[in-house]
Amino acid sequence: MAAALRAEKAWRLAATTPALAFTRSAFVARKRNYDQPNWPGVVLAFGTSAALWAYLFKQHNDDVMEYERRKREKHHKCTDCS
Amino acid sequence: MVFLPDEARSLPPPPIANRISAWLGFCGWFAALLDNGFNQRPVLRAGVHRQILFTTVGWFVGYYLAKRTEYMYAKVDRELLEYVRQHPEDFRGAEKRRIGEVFEEFHPVR
Repeated sequence: MAAALRAEKAWRLAATTPALAFTRSAFVARKRNYDQPNWPGVVLAFGTSAALWAYLFKQHNDDVMEYERRKREKHHKCTDCS
Repeated sequence: MVFLPDEARSLPPPPIANRISAWLGFCGWFAALLDNGFNQRPVLRAGVHRQILFTTVGWFVGYYLAKRTEYMYAKVDRELLEYVRQHPEDFRGAEKRRIGEVFEEFHPVR
């Protein structure tokens, strides 16, 4: 029982030093600072959203034009310029 | 495997506001809200740029998925109707029977 308590204390001491210069760990978390907006991120997000919407509307209009064109051509071919 | 073959363009394109886009847009928005929640930010008021971006990406992907869905259904319908057209003997409709042939002969009991 005493040995387990001593082991636990040793483990806890070893675990409370994340700032050692000669050990690098992927498991160090830093608190994010939300005082200032992340302006590059905001500009990228809004810019990408605007670009995606513009591309989507353009793609849809192209699709509609292509569908109408093929419908006209099929009608033209079938009725043989009646 | 092509995502959208050329013949898919002969189909009427889905409207920009379609069910699949709306659902995936909502899923994107919800993912942004979850991200806010997991990072201990105010769930609805934080990261509006992120919410808009995720919703947009979901809507965008949904449009192309809607187009592919329409194409898959149209292809199956075309093959089905072509089979029906080529095998009319299997798909003869029920012949109309006169009411006199349907019922048994009537013997009044007076």
